[in-house]
Amino acid sequence: MTAGRLIFDLAAAAAIVFSGLMVVGRNPVRSVLSLVVAFFALAVCFVLLLAPFIAALQVIVYAGAILVLFLFVLMLLNVGREVPDKNVRPIQRVLGSAAVLVFAGLLLGMFRHSGSHVPAAADPVDPAMLGDPAALARLLYSDYLLHFEAVSVLLLAALVGAFVLARREHAS
Amino acid sequence: MIGAIPLSDVLLVSGALFSIGIAGALLRRNAIQIFLSIELMMNAANLALIGYGAALGTREGQIVVFFVIAIAAAEAAVGLAIFVALFRHTETIDVNESNLLKW
Repeated sequence: MTAGRLIFDLAAAAAIVFSGLMVVGRNPVRSVLSLVVAFFALAVCFVLLLAPFIAALQVIVYAGAILVLFLFVLMLLNVGREVPDKNVRPIQRVLGSAAVLVFAGLLLGMFRHSGSHVPAAADPVDPAMLGDPAALARLLYSDYLLHFEAVSVLLLAALVGAFVLARREHAS
Repeated sequence: MIGAIPLSDVLLVSGALFSIGIAGALLRRNAIQIFLSIELMMNAANLALIGYGAALGTREGQIVVFFVIAIAAAEAAVGLAIFVALFRHTETIDVNESNLLKW
């Protein structure tokens, strides 16, 4: 077992454990913080899978910006811990859990078979250069330029939409 | 560098994370925690994409993940704005209480 393999296993285990804590916890602030740790562990996995640029994006954008936005909104709304609700019928929980178990079984069964035979790419890139930011940027601004511009328009639309939605209405 | 992680292991982790995200989205009632579970599912998909990219030796997986992260940022901004508006309106973000459009 190589060192990289060991680190990947540890990081993957940490990601799974902290995402489990995120789902189980009743305190939303703790959930967000658990997810930050899980995303950091996933960034470690990304580095080991030869994608250091994406790992940096994961830390800066996901853990740094998106989850901090979540924390900010949680603090703004002052959401307390979830109280047990008497209106929830037990059948909902049972059916929900059963659906999750069936889904997990199907997904893992499917992945178990699809991971073993990978078709070879036409012209595989040298593994050392796979996550090279310059090469990624060249690809992004040539072959994927249209998609890139579409995403920039989407971000602008989201900005305007968020502003309109969260604005306080003076008229009423 | 190290590139010796088998694809099946990556997919196993990805599937486990996605299933945890599904469990959170289906079983929690706090809208923010449901939203966090959706973010987790997106990250599980990102892990599968990067795992396939590394196994195939192509950069397209990383490009797709780049777009997923950008769209997740847009989604988080709009989603949280909706929660703020909902909280102003109903004083709660429990999804069971928000049944105005149900009937």
